[in-house]
Amino acid sequence: MKLGPISLAVVVCLLLAMPWLVSGSFLNAAIQMLIAALFAMAFGLLCGRAGMLSFGHAAYFGVGAFAAVHAMNAFGGEGLLPTPLLPLVGAGTGLVSGLVAGYFSTKRTGVYFAMITLALAELLHALAPHMKAMFGGEAGVSSFRMPAWGFSFGSITEVYFLTLAWTLLSIAALYLFSKTPLGSLALGLRENAHRLRFLGYNTHALGTLIFAVSAMFAGIAGALQSLNIEAANYVVLESHISTAVVLNSFIGGVRVFLGPAIGGAVMTFFGHVTSDLTRVWLLYQGIIFVLVMMFMPRGIVGEIVDRFSAPTRAGILRLLGDICLRLGAVAVAAIGAIFLIEFLQRLLSNEYRANVAAAGWPDITLFSMDWSPLSIQPWGFGLGLMAVGIALVVTINRRLAARKEAEA
Amino acid sequence: MGGAQAPAMSPPAIKKGMGLVLDQIIFALLNGTIYGLLLFMVSAGLTLIFGMMGVLNFAHASFYMLGAYFAYTLEPLTGFWIAIILSPLLVAGIGILVERYILRHVHAHGHAHELLVTFGLSVVIAEIIKMAYGKFAIDYRVPVELNFAAFSLSGIDYPFYRLFMGGIALAMFIAIYLLLTRTRVGIVVRSAIYRPQMVEALGHNVPLVFMGVFGFGAALAGLAGAVAGAFYTTNPNMALELGVMVFVVVVVGGLGSMGGAMAASLLIGITNSLAVGSNFMLADALALVGLGAWAQDIGGLLTTRLSSLAATIPFFIMLLVLVVRPSGLMGEKE
Repeated sequence: MKLGPISLAVVVCLLLAMPWLVSGSFLNAAIQMLIAALFAMAFGLLCGRAGMLSFGHAAYFGVGAFAAVHAMNAFGGEGLLPTPLLPLVGAGTGLVSGLVAGYFSTKRTGVYFAMITLALAELLHALAPHMKAMFGGEAGVSSFRMPAWGFSFGSITEVYFLTLAWTLLSIAALYLFSKTPLGSLALGLRENAHRLRFLGYNTHALGTLIFAVSAMFAGIAGALQSLNIEAANYVVLESHISTAVVLNSFIGGVRVFLGPAIGGAVMTFFGHVTSDLTRVWLLYQGIIFVLVMMFMPRGIVGEIVDRFSAPTRAGILRLLGDICLRLGAVAVAAIGAIFLIEFLQRLLSNEYRANVAAAGWPDITLFSMDWSPLSIQPWGFGLGLMAVGIALVVTINRRLAARKEAEA
Repeated sequence: MGGAQAPAMSPPAIKKGMGLVLDQIIFALLNGTIYGLLLFMVSAGLTLIFGMMGVLNFAHASFYMLGAYFAYTLEPLTGFWIAIILSPLLVAGIGILVERYILRHVHAHGHAHELLVTFGLSVVIAEIIKMAYGKFAIDYRVPVELNFAAFSLSGIDYPFYRLFMGGIALAMFIAIYLLLTRTRVGIVVRSAIYRPQMVEALGHNVPLVFMGVFGFGAALAGLAGAVAGAFYTTNPNMALELGVMVFVVVVVGGLGSMGGAMAASLLIGITNSLAVGSNFMLADALALVGLGAWAQDIGGLLTTRLSSLAATIPFFIMLLVLVVRPSGLMGEKE
């Protein structure tokens, strides 16, 4: 693949040029995207490469975030390390907490492992409010970025470059890690742990180590987060952070190297864009996840890589045609589904219920049209579009399958 | 604490004090047993489904939550009794649909994939509940006719509804036991867990059995939710809170083992409620070896009362079990 290095260089250049291309509020979103991408990569190492599904990765993210805030506050606000090196603190605490948690959770494999990681994260979340000195109680801990190395770190651009540098470095380190013997052993752990044990490897120690490395990168992501917002609150230990990283990584595809990063960045981007448009973004995220899991088990990036892995000119054109057809059909169904969900959301909202009590059933404005909830139109429109879209998808799939069969 | 001023207790007063403590312990044990039985109702379905299909159903606790919300919605229309019968049936229906149209679809991709899909479903269910009922707790209460004291000890009333919950859980346990061990359906189900191919070869419809078990497990969780939601709080977070507890139960007890699930549920329920009622703190234990003052100085976790840390005790039990006996109390070795 010659396309790989070129597109990578283009992406890196685009990322470097970002502050001159976009506005401030979007740059802030870009920082969030980078952090989400790095966090997802850390998760992807554990889950995609070593096959250990963790439902509690927020714990290590949070530990890194708090460690960084405390390091920033150390020595009366002077900071333990110069600002650009603070993520190292997150990395260190992430590594140590990962070693401890990994020791317990890798005692079991498979679904038990998943449950233990979830329980450990919940344990930390339950303990955190009682440890005021460490986690700052309700208010959390706040801090300030100190100038260092000739940068003031007062502007968002400088924070962006700091985050970008750490994210790219970490992803490069993760890539190099995957080339080390330990990285290959991680793959062995996923594929056949029994055989690895027969070969004389200590699988428990191996699992613990990989868990710790993953937690270390999660800690870096957490530290970047608290550098960015100059505070940490025990909300970062909550389960929805763990949930988000699982959803994002799998939507991207955990078995492809950059899959989790792309998933994390894209989903965070959509979350940012849709935050003023819809109140139920998490619902969409969940639905997308379930659909991806059902119909594209390798994730979106995984699917794309898989389809374009052996391209010929005619093949690519046809593939693009097929994909466009499918996307069109899915879009029809998606518009119907989004309409229904948004309509229901407005219908069920507290404001509307109060209106119903006062003034009967007023019309709901959606897609710049007024719809009466008592008439058949909105329901027919939404369900109709969904049905048409699904029927189209099914027909296209049948046609393509028939064509494939005819060719074979 | 002010020992000098306090009048010396006369023997009857001491006796009375002891009685009060004893009564509190009895209350705590009862509460713990009933909470444990409730945990068992949910973990039983999870264990049954896991044992049979190898699927860890992450959405299982969401079924518990759905049960509570359905019962809350139905109660004004049908009354409490019909509501707690109908809502498990509705939940069972949803469970059957999930098994038939979602889980079966991803079965070929392996168990980890099934776990992930149910995880996604739990997110979707929680979000739909938030959309429909709001983010805060709803006002689902114990019906007036059941809201009375069963008995009272040392002037403290014991709510009848707790006993009612325990009774339902016990009745369910006995029903499952009899169903699995004494009926033909039970034989088919148990053998389908053990050797699905063989059972299929003998002419039984194993996918149908799987669907039935999944629906039944969902209904159990739904029933637990419908009954317990009225007593505890019903909010969109309840699935996660209970779900984590149930997972701890399952790790401690050993997945796939009914007896293990029962033992672990009771263990966790009872330690939890004993801890809630206790004023013990780590500093007290350190005081026994002469480090009390030091611990008081350190503060933090050392001087936090056990009662406020009660929620974390099950996790410590789990860690202990993992170190001492990784396969769980009654689980088989992997």
